Amino acid sequence: MKKILLMGNPNVGKSVLFSRLTGAHVIASNYPGTTVEFTKGKLRVGGEPFEIIDVPGTYSLDPTSDAERVATDMVADGDIIVAVMDATALERSLNLTLHLLKSGKPVVVALNMSDAARHEGIEIDAPRLEEMLGVPVVPTAAVRGEGIKELVDRLPDAKADSMDFSDENRWKVIGEVVEQCQKVKHRHHTFLEWLGDASVHPLTGLPIAVVAGLLAFWIIRMVGLGLEGRIFSPLFENIWLPIVYRISEAMGGEGFLHQVIVGQLVEGELDLEQSFGLLTTGLYVPIAIVLSYVFAFYLVLGVVEDIGYLPRLGVMLDTLMHHFGLHGLSIMPMLLGLGCNVPGAMATRLLEGRKERFIASVMMAIAVPCMAQLAMVIGLVGQHGIKGLAPVFMTLFLVWLGVGVLLRFMVKGETPEILSEMPPYRLPYWKAMLKKLWMRTKAFICEAVPFVLLGVVLMNFLYALGIVDALGSLFEPVITRMLGLPGEATGALIVGFLRKDVAVGMLAPLGLELRQLVVASVVLMIYFPCVATFIVLIKELGIKDMAKGAALMIAVTLVVGTALNFLLQVVY
Amino acid sequence: MKLGIDLAQMDAGKWGIVTSVEGGHGVISRLESLGLRPGARVSKISAHFFKGPVIVNVNNRRIALGYGLARKVFVDMEGDK
Repeated sequence: MKKILLMGNPNVGKSVLFSRLTGAHVIASNYPGTTVEFTKGKLRVGGEPFEIIDVPGTYSLDPTSDAERVATDMVADGDIIVAVMDATALERSLNLTLHLLKSGKPVVVALNMSDAARHEGIEIDAPRLEEMLGVPVVPTAAVRGEGIKELVDRLPDAKADSMDFSDENRWKVIGEVVEQCQKVKHRHHTFLEWLGDASVHPLTGLPIAVVAGLLAFWIIRMVGLGLEGRIFSPLFENIWLPIVYRISEAMGGEGFLHQVIVGQLVEGELDLEQSFGLLTTGLYVPIAIVLSYVFAFYLVLGVVEDIGYLPRLGVMLDTLMHHFGLHGLSIMPMLLGLGCNVPGAMATRLLEGRKERFIASVMMAIAVPCMAQLAMVIGLVGQHGIKGLAPVFMTLFLVWLGVGVLLRFMVKGETPEILSEMPPYRLPYWKAMLKKLWMRTKAFICEAVPFVLLGVVLMNFLYALGIVDALGSLFEPVITRMLGLPGEATGALIVGFLRKDVAVGMLAPLGLELRQLVVASVVLMIYFPCVATFIVLIKELGIKDMAKGAALMIAVTLVVGTALNFLLQVVY
Repeated sequence: MKLGIDLAQMDAGKWGIVTSVEGGHGVISRLESLGLRPGARVSKISAHFFKGPVIVNVNNRRIALGYGLARKVFVDMEGDK
């Protein structure tokens, strides 16, 4: 099948265009470098099927980064190239386009973001541009669905090598094209532009970041609590639980199978959180507790991403991040890791340099808890109020800082400086945001729930076979004497390899003191990534680096856990 | 002898024309593809303390550069805008 390549600078709307052309599911956000992997789909042009590929965004075809090398290789493999240009950044877009015109492959230009250009007072003479470039130029606004049909209709008109110029003259040629095809009307500084600059200014940027952060947390908490308290919990308690009771009776109320499917009776009743059966804990924890907060998190993240705040946050944090051998944009994997460590680990691909990727991955895996864990820990420890929550999160933060500084000196290599475009603030397009939210939530449900159910089954088997007790005795010196936890906590530590939220849930029936709850929560959060994250990290870092990272995590856990245990005995 | 001052030294709110970009091929290429190349008109938006990132405006787009990179881009100052 012939291949159509969508190529263009980062953040020109390639992914949105791609999803318009294929009807496929793609995540697109308003900051450079989101499209980490290339995505493929199918398109019919005049009855003939084509494969269409969304190539990672690049600024040129000079191989200065992995993304650009990948793009260059893909050009060699493609049949038709759609050069996606940003109408609001004509000069810069022309750089890559001219490279593509010299590639020997037929090209069609999609002049995207035409709507934004109109809005900013930029007029582009598309017919003149077409004349000068020698290839079809179709104005599009992918986000609104404008121009898509025309683009597809003109694909057969694509031409190769349509322009004659030498490489040294490239910028001169670009200058001429811009001069003849673009007119910028005078426009006032808009509020959003002013806000964009203020967000990144050394004086106003920090207060804005703090306000944004607080607002984000507040909204996540409100939405999460609302979903959990007003929708899911009542649903589970009033409709689902009676059904489970019936099943319990039908099974005779006891026995191993009953334990696995329905769970244990806690004080004579079934408890949705503590009974640990597939139908109780196995469903309640991921859907009622975790999903509520995961949804809330992705809702807020989607808005923040699409407005375009994240690159600015990266710049604000750049100096801080350099203390860890990272640069500001590595805040991205950390933020994504708050939702789920798996996309957080994948986002480290955005970082250049092995050193940066390693440090960011380890820092994220060790000290950034995912929403699933967070929801459970806050539910469990939060009952004791700030006395419990403060030590947990302060310790986590200190571990994050400490591991970062440690790794900066331990890992060899240079950290590149930040060099990034900060796209203008744009009001998010709600349909794209909702689609992204839906996809992320759906991914969570499909990926997390099976693991949770597996964890519940596994844990029941381990207990029944006495394996948990055996391991508890084996690790007693560590668990009981160093960490101050009862032997029964071993079960939680084992299940934590699979799912951290279930593991935290297993702490509930143990009747732990506050000190033990704090230590156990911290240990569960930092000792090892969950299996899903572990697998992704092996793919991203390679086995050797991952082994080093894992060893570090375990070592830090032992030190921090023990220290915390003894410290809290004094404090409490 | 190089004319002009570099982006880090430039005052915020002022405009200039880029005269030269120092550095290896990779650095020049990266800066160039974002619009920072000889002849480009840039204005400085802000800079962060402690040799933090520098924000400039090129072609109506905001670009953030690390301090070290900013010191590699030399500009000829225009009068006030």
